[in-house]
Amino acid sequence: MKVWTGGKQGKQRWRRRSNTTPRSLLVCERSSFCDENNRVSSQVEQLHFNYKVSVLLSDCSSAPSHLESLLTSFSHFYLVRNLPLHELLDKQFLETAVYQGNVYGLSYRTRLDEDNCVALMPNGHLVLSLDKDSFQVLGFEGKTSTFNYKTKNRYVVTVDLTDGSMAPGRQAYLRLLTGLTSRLPLQMDFLLSHHPGGGASLQALLSRYIWSEHKPEVGTCSLTHLPCPDLQSCDPHGLLEWLGAVDANISRDNSSSSFLSSLVCPEPKRTVSRALRISICGLLLPHDVQRLIQELRCYLGQCQPESWVSLTVHGFVDSPVSWGGKEHGVLRGGENFYTLFIFHDHTYHLHLAAGAQDTCPP
Amino acid sequence: MRRDEEKGEAAVFQRVVLKNASPYHYMKVCLVLEDESTKLSAVELKQFIITGLKTLYGEVGAALNFDLLKYDEDTFTAVLRVYSKWLVKLWSSLTLNGFYQNQACAFRVLQVSPFLLALSGNSRELQLD
Repeated sequence: MKVWTGGKQGKQRWRRRSNTTPRSLLVCERSSFCDENNRVSSQVEQLHFNYKVSVLLSDCSSAPSHLESLLTSFSHFYLVRNLPLHELLDKQFLETAVYQGNVYGLSYRTRLDEDNCVALMPNGHLVLSLDKDSFQVLGFEGKTSTFNYKTKNRYVVTVDLTDGSMAPGRQAYLRLLTGLTSRLPLQMDFLLSHHPGGGASLQALLSRYIWSEHKPEVGTCSLTHLPCPDLQSCDPHGLLEWLGAVDANISRDNSSSSFLSSLVCPEPKRTVSRALRISICGLLLPHDVQRLIQELRCYLGQCQPESWVSLTVHGFVDSPVSWGGKEHGVLRGGENFYTLFIFHDHTYHLHLAAGAQDTCPP
Repeated sequence: MRRDEEKGEAAVFQRVVLKNASPYHYMKVCLVLEDESTKLSAVELKQFIITGLKTLYGEVGAALNFDLLKYDEDTFTAVLRVYSKWLVKLWSSLTLNGFYQNQACAFRVLQVSPFLLALSGNSRELQLD
């Protein structure tokens, strides 16, 4: 147990800190798709590893056919079992996939707060988030994790595989290759996806290991008589709480005196007679999310003026990078997600949420 | 709170950054009981948590407001909502709740977040087998 040995003021500060929760950030942006300076596309591109997309369509009971076909056309991804990490430095893999761009790779079932985690970003950057022992054994240049600078028990190694100094045969390349083959022969289950090459460009790598192809899983659910707050005036946290309750099927029909829960829909509210919730899970690429946003905007153009659409994209909790390739950590929740509300008049509200170990979304 | 850009008219770009502004925190917890055949309703679970709070923090703890938003009787998994300033008290009392009706039990805290939305998109639940 920690015992305070400092002065009175310090003790008060320590008490206050031990009773407060780690910081969280919520960035709220409002603009219009008609505005040339709108940043939706760049924000979507900056979150590389997306786990789940959920869409809520107001005043809609069944998914329009073109939306359904778009959801089924999301890029497939591959799960490679026990992939030795040095395979990512394989000359053929670099030439057929990494140098062409847009390869997404992420270690699967590794926890960022306790294990070694790896991400291969579409710009050819390989990021290894390693514990202290592994980092020292690897013997490659890296830096202390931003979020562990006091304890120094986690290190991040970032390598640009497209850089000239990392070309096969060069000194830095050989040092990393030797590190990953002999000193630290890391193996992990790995999720891989490539756009637009698909499986063909990854085939050489896949053929050497046990792998399986996966299609993002789509689920739909229709809702009726959905109480809905006023999206224009509602406080952002209240709005996200309401959307979270809709997403998790949590009852909002409570009174302030009920014993179990006092969660209610924020006032003022209106009742939407029917709504449709669609969710899609897997390793989802930003490119597909962009297409989905375009499709949703087309869909809204054909709807009534009061209709709206919300789209929530959750990033992977255990990805070593989040917004714009910046470092990501898991202190408690590791949440990194954004919610986009699109309205009939092309205006939008974008809410970007980050947990304690994230930089502010750009 | 910081306002970066604001230009006055309707379709302008507006950006607001809210730091630590969430009034609530949400916890996804699972109760592990020694005897798995035990039945426990939502009301009983909430009463059990309140008793734990009272044991640890006395009357002040028993008066602490929290909501049981969702409960699955088969898996004993619940979603709780608590004011951010009381999260530490609730969490500590859950940790120290060791017995339910004379049988050993433990609360597993599966996920904690200042956003309820984050609880429905946890990538650690991705099953590809």
